[in-house]
Amino acid sequence: MLFHSKKSALGKTYEDGEIIIRQGEEADCMFVILEGKVEIIVDGESDDAFQLALLKEDEVFGELALFDDQPRIASARALGTVRVLSVDKKGFLQWIGEEPSFTLRILIKMAFRTRTLISEVVRLRKELRACQNKTES
Amino acid sequence: MELKNGSRIGIIGGGPAGSFSAIFLLDLARQVDLDIQVDIFEPRDFTLTGPRGCNMCGGVISESLVQKMASDGIHLPDEILIDTIEAYTLHSDISSVRIDDDREEMRIACIYRGGGPTGAETQTPLPKISFDGYLLELAKTKGARHIPERARGLEWDEGFPCIHWPEDNQQRYDLVVGGLGLNSPGLKMFDGLDFGYLPPKSTKAFISELYFGDEEVERLLGHSMHVFILNIPRVKFIAITPKGPYATLIILGDGIDQALVKQVYGAPEIKKCLPQGWEIPVQTCTCQPKINIGAPVNPFTNRVVMVGDCSSSRLYKDGIGAAYRLAKSLAYTAISHGVSEEDFQRFFMPTCRSLDWDNRLGHLLFFGDALLRPYSWIQEAIITVIRQEQSDPDSPRHLSSALWDTFTGSSSYRNIFRRSLHPVVLFNLVRVLLTNLARQLLHR
Repeated sequence: MLFHSKKSALGKTYEDGEIIIRQGEEADCMFVILEGKVEIIVDGESDDAFQLALLKEDEVFGELALFDDQPRIASARALGTVRVLSVDKKGFLQWIGEEPSFTLRILIKMAFRTRTLISEVVRLRKELRACQNKTES
Repeated sequence: MELKNGSRIGIIGGGPAGSFSAIFLLDLARQVDLDIQVDIFEPRDFTLTGPRGCNMCGGVISESLVQKMASDGIHLPDEILIDTIEAYTLHSDISSVRIDDDREEMRIACIYRGGGPTGAETQTPLPKISFDGYLLELAKTKGARHIPERARGLEWDEGFPCIHWPEDNQQRYDLVVGGLGLNSPGLKMFDGLDFGYLPPKSTKAFISELYFGDEEVERLLGHSMHVFILNIPRVKFIAITPKGPYATLIILGDGIDQALVKQVYGAPEIKKCLPQGWEIPVQTCTCQPKINIGAPVNPFTNRVVMVGDCSSSRLYKDGIGAAYRLAKSLAYTAISHGVSEEDFQRFFMPTCRSLDWDNRLGHLLFFGDALLRPYSWIQEAIITVIRQEQSDPDSPRHLSSALWDTFTGSSSYRNIFRRSLHPVVLFNLVRVLLTNLARQLLHR
């Protein structure tokens, strides 16, 4: 094609099953999903691995790396062909210095995830309490 | 002087500065439950080819801007990407060196501001969406109203700016944003508001779209931007960018005229990037837009603010990135604080000042480059150091990354300056210079 060759696409492409980030790795960027689906998995290499989240186009992952110096807490794996764009931590911190409102969207996303996590913890506690009550009775 | 529910904002100019302003104003207003009306005055049809649909620009979206937009949820669709860049090739009078992206990822986009070069309408398939057209559509989906007319006049009406447009239309606004380029005739209109605004100092660039065909562009340029640091008087920077079947030639310098352009085309290093036997076509899509090389005077007053090239921008690079930054700062100021001169002075001006100060360092860098350029042995040493950095994966790439950021526009001149003067870079340069000198003496 004249104008729209396959190479004229931003980001990096991963094939089905390819690991994009690995749990425990050093982190220096976050990712924005441009195309496809990504599953976030915990303990990806052991038998008790489980899916923490399934993310689709426009969503971000690995954003904690932008704010702390801890290793990755989960792995990200491509589900089908996936195209992602990395956002460097170094640049991100510089942009926040230039324009604080730049963080707003990421913070909104993190707030949403915190909300979801709290709901999940509440649900699990309720389930646990129900189980305990059942055992006691 | 704050924006309230029902406040009206008029944006003159629907290029990136105007559209980014509308997008960020509407996004932030939604966050704080503020209901505002945004009108964008833009007469240009961005689907048209040639100057009628184009805002005259080299058409490269920097690595940092691609990342910033993606973080903000603005994902450039494949339909507007004419090409992507994975490397920069630096050509001097002596030799060349290629600097690759460390991440092996496409993060620099080549776009057209309008429907493509003159004559592109005869080719198929055409680029579907122009960059400016895409951003304007995005602003519309956020709730902005596009008025496809040229604003004809501006005046004060009881302390509010009022915009006039054809067929006796007029509207009073709570805030008017001048999102214009230096080439826009609309800039003159702001004289009518008499707030002491003076546009920044400018110079003329030369941009030409050269048709080589897909295969030749791929063969000669690949997915690399070719940057030339040649010893041609008055020329600061030459770049050739691949754009599908076209190559965009950009010349930055002082007093660019036909004789200088001819000299550039005739340079041996440039000829290597042109098809064999290729001659300058009689008719090409060529423009000589004004580009910002200074700081504006009084870019705001009560209820009026200037963004984009007519305000503070970045010297010789990433003008769209600067427009993005100013638009963000403007939206934050207007929505979170207010639209008085005092608010702009306190919250918007620091962004302008930061750009202006960084450009002063940029001028210093280009001045240093002009001083050193005639000395081919210095160019040779720079290229040798880059080659050594590129060939050794464990070597810290201080000079390569500084040059990468200079060409991509991804970093501030302050950062580039700091990295260029890194002790390791200076040590390596001196080491290579002395080695070359010793080799020459032995040879003699």
